[in-house]
Amino acid sequence: MAGIGFELRRLLRDQSFLGLLRGYGYAGLITSGPWVFSIVGVLLIGILSVGQFNPRPEIALFLVSINYAIAISLIFTGSFQLLFTRYISDRLYEHRDDLVIPNLAGALTLIGASGGVVSGLILAFFFKESLVYKMLMVGIFVTLCEIWIVVVLVSGLRVPEKILASFFIGYALSVGGALALRPFGVNGLLAGFLFGQVVMLYLMVAVIIHKYPLAKLVQFNFLDRQKIYLSLSATGFLFNAGIWADKFIFWMNPETSSPVTGLFRSSIIYDLPISIAYLSIIPGMAVFLVRIETDFAEQYEAFYGAVRDGDTLNHIQKLKASMTYTIRQGVYEILKVQGMTVLLLLLAGSAILRFFGLSHLYLQLYQVDLVGVGVQVVMLATFNVFFYLDLRLIALLLSMLFVSANIALTLLTQSLGPMYYGYGFAVAVSFTSLVGLVILSRKLRSLETDTFMMAG
Amino acid sequence: MGSGETNRDGELLDLTASSRRGADEADVALLLEGTYPLVSGGVSSWVHQIIQALPEIQFALYFIGSSPDAYGKPKYDLPANVVHLEKHYLSTALEAGAPKSFRSCPAAYERSSQLHDYFREPKQGLPGDLIQAFFGELGRPTGLTRSNFLRSKESWDQIVNSYNRHCTDPSFVDYFWTIRSMHAPLFYLADLARSIHPCKAFHSISTGYAGFVGAMLRHLHSRPLILTEHGIYTKERKIDLFQAPWIRDAAEVFSDRLEDDIGYLRRLWIRFFEGLGRIIYDAADPIVSLFEANRERQITDGASRPRTQVIPNGVDVARFAALRAKRADPPPPIVGLIGRIVPIKDIQTFIRAMRMVCSRIPTAEGWIIGPAEENPEYAEECKDLVAQLGLENRVKFLGFRRPDEVLPQLALLCLTSISEGLPLVLLEGFAGGVPAVATNVGSCGQLIRGIDEADLALGEAGALVSIANPPETAAAIVGLLQDAQAWKSAQQAAISRVETFYTQGQMVQRYREIYRQAIDN
Repeated sequence: MAGIGFELRRLLRDQSFLGLLRGYGYAGLITSGPWVFSIVGVLLIGILSVGQFNPRPEIALFLVSINYAIAISLIFTGSFQLLFTRYISDRLYEHRDDLVIPNLAGALTLIGASGGVVSGLILAFFFKESLVYKMLMVGIFVTLCEIWIVVVLVSGLRVPEKILASFFIGYALSVGGALALRPFGVNGLLAGFLFGQVVMLYLMVAVIIHKYPLAKLVQFNFLDRQKIYLSLSATGFLFNAGIWADKFIFWMNPETSSPVTGLFRSSIIYDLPISIAYLSIIPGMAVFLVRIETDFAEQYEAFYGAVRDGDTLNHIQKLKASMTYTIRQGVYEILKVQGMTVLLLLLAGSAILRFFGLSHLYLQLYQVDLVGVGVQVVMLATFNVFFYLDLRLIALLLSMLFVSANIALTLLTQSLGPMYYGYGFAVAVSFTSLVGLVILSRKLRSLETDTFMMAG
Repeated sequence: MGSGETNRDGELLDLTASSRRGADEADVALLLEGTYPLVSGGVSSWVHQIIQALPEIQFALYFIGSSPDAYGKPKYDLPANVVHLEKHYLSTALEAGAPKSFRSCPAAYERSSQLHDYFREPKQGLPGDLIQAFFGELGRPTGLTRSNFLRSKESWDQIVNSYNRHCTDPSFVDYFWTIRSMHAPLFYLADLARSIHPCKAFHSISTGYAGFVGAMLRHLHSRPLILTEHGIYTKERKIDLFQAPWIRDAAEVFSDRLEDDIGYLRRLWIRFFEGLGRIIYDAADPIVSLFEANRERQITDGASRPRTQVIPNGVDVARFAALRAKRADPPPPIVGLIGRIVPIKDIQTFIRAMRMVCSRIPTAEGWIIGPAEENPEYAEECKDLVAQLGLENRVKFLGFRRPDEVLPQLALLCLTSISEGLPLVLLEGFAGGVPAVATNVGSCGQLIRGIDEADLALGEAGALVSIANPPETAAAIVGLLQDAQAWKSAQQAAISRVETFYTQGQMVQRYREIYRQAIDN
């Protein structure tokens, strides 16, 4: 994602306040992009449709369906996304730009086909909805999967405006389409949503095709065992599973959820507060993109450049120190900015809940979720640094820790009672971040030693 | 010994079952680095000559090479008294395996650091207890292992410490890998030394890696290590390290100045081999060189004088003596330079000298006898110079010829080299009754003038001149060609010298004594 970060920093260098705001605004939206947009979009469709429907469960069905599609597609592609991104960045490092498009096409084909088959089978066997509903859901699931793959690649390009434009157009069409097709009930909503998503996917693919040479149509080189890191697959899967574990637990527990359709259950207590809390992630993600993805990435390049090109040890150590400083500053800044945001949103808590039409009873859960989501940005930054330093094993262990902590602590909070809901996720994220930062600081201390002594 | 096992052939080449009894039957283990029996050349011929001449001694051969694909089939038929042959390759030492667990050994690093301090002080002797401890723990699971050297924090700290204190080359990554690749083979060699069947005596034909194995064997088994150096290992390594042929020659001419110009890392390699050399000199007795100047060089590099001795190469005098009668009397004024046409032989000084010789003696001829393939550009320059000086009819390029064929036609040998060891061609010429004019390099002074009282008394076998000095060379040639009496007495001195001091029989006899003493020790 560093590519876009550099472009954004150029914007940030325009010292004007407006330029600054624009830079960070772009950064935040792009990094948290599709996720936040989808929450906003879905909430918007939901809010705008209130009162328009009879019977009302149609909207609930729509919201839950989309929510599941997002969650499962993220976990499903999680096992592939990191692995594929790494494959592509390695090829770009080798100046094999010609391999990008054919392999992207290959990846989209593979993910599309497998996602279609899996979701189709699940829907066919476990759901009693109409065939149209099932087909639309398969379409949405496959499209979302493809979007998660494409969005990482597209954000490596230095074209923030185009990316934001495709997000915006896509979600405008999703919301507009869903509202326009409301008369057709849940299927209308889904069809409208799907339409916008498909347009968004094509727009992003168009941006990529415009940037890279079109050599061959489809290739599956990314499956070459010699060129990929399977641990990244496990890490990606576990990380995403970790993010969603607490939600699934709340959906599965009959005490905290109710059935919607087929396998879908929803947790009225849990879902909305955390969705709203996720909207707060934008400022932190903006800082993350600029400080970690860009400043750190640059320092990292300088460090390894110095090692490779035969710099003095003194200079290598200085570069390491400044790289360490950048990481520290990045984490502080994320905490600072995200902390301020969380503080403001805590103060405005009651008003925000009122705006979304939620009861005051949700306030505490909302507050805990705000903190948890904020710390999630730090956790993301930590993982990211591990990926840069190529400490894949640590990233894998950390993702295991995260998913098991989230499962264990969420189950614990469920047995402790509603007062504790949300703490499972918040504590799991904080604990994982803390452990990650401690390991990171150790690893950084011996970085030059390990770089030399563990090579070859 | 892990990966080494696969590289040891065990395959005993063309050894026939009846005469090959195995390593435990050997009296002497020969440690051969990049030479006999897989490589042909002067040193290999010498080894072959010694083994053949001492049938009563059983030899085990340990060949240490760079990598298996660098060598072809054996170049010699192994004599019957070779009972064992193993081949080992250093390339495997550099292939770092996966990191294994290792014990921390701060004391070993402390000792290693002390040892390195000794290496930095060229004049100091090495402390016996440190060396003993070093060989005792090198490659041992409880001591300094290869994994430990490659992966441990202690190893890193020592490298960083030395870099900070001593390295003047800015590139840390180069320094780091230089240190690694120069030390990594020692662990392999230590394993090799432990795997070698103990013999009554060990004999290394160079310092360097083979000598290091010898030193370790000496410490492991308390059996004598004999060291014979044909050249000076560090000097040859230095030349290898330059890699470009033109630098090789420049390095010889401007040896001292170039020392300052070469990079720190190259000097590090040289110092590394000098350090190995000191460990080896410390373990070896006797330390044999071919001629006096090299002996002095060994002593400068850390060999203790009482252990050193000179055993020059010997020639088969009878074979060359037969040539004397074939020469016309008086001999025609033909001066021969036998050697490869390369800058180190400074052929152009010979050509310029011949210009002056021919001005004084119009019938004189200069024959350049030797192959030109090695440096065609230089050979071309030489031919141009001959044309420029109008010597086309007087200076001839004959290409390679057998000495037996040309020696009877020559009145004088000339050697204008800027560097020499113990030139066999002079000995062969002397045995064939040809005196010589030679530059005062290597052992040429010893061969022309003599070295001790008895030797000096034999008179001068020609004349010594300074390098790159055509007028002096010409004057010496003219002096010998025009003065029949002087030529006769130079010829007589040449014949007496080679017959008294440089016969094959003497050389073999001295090694027979050395081996006897070492075996009976």
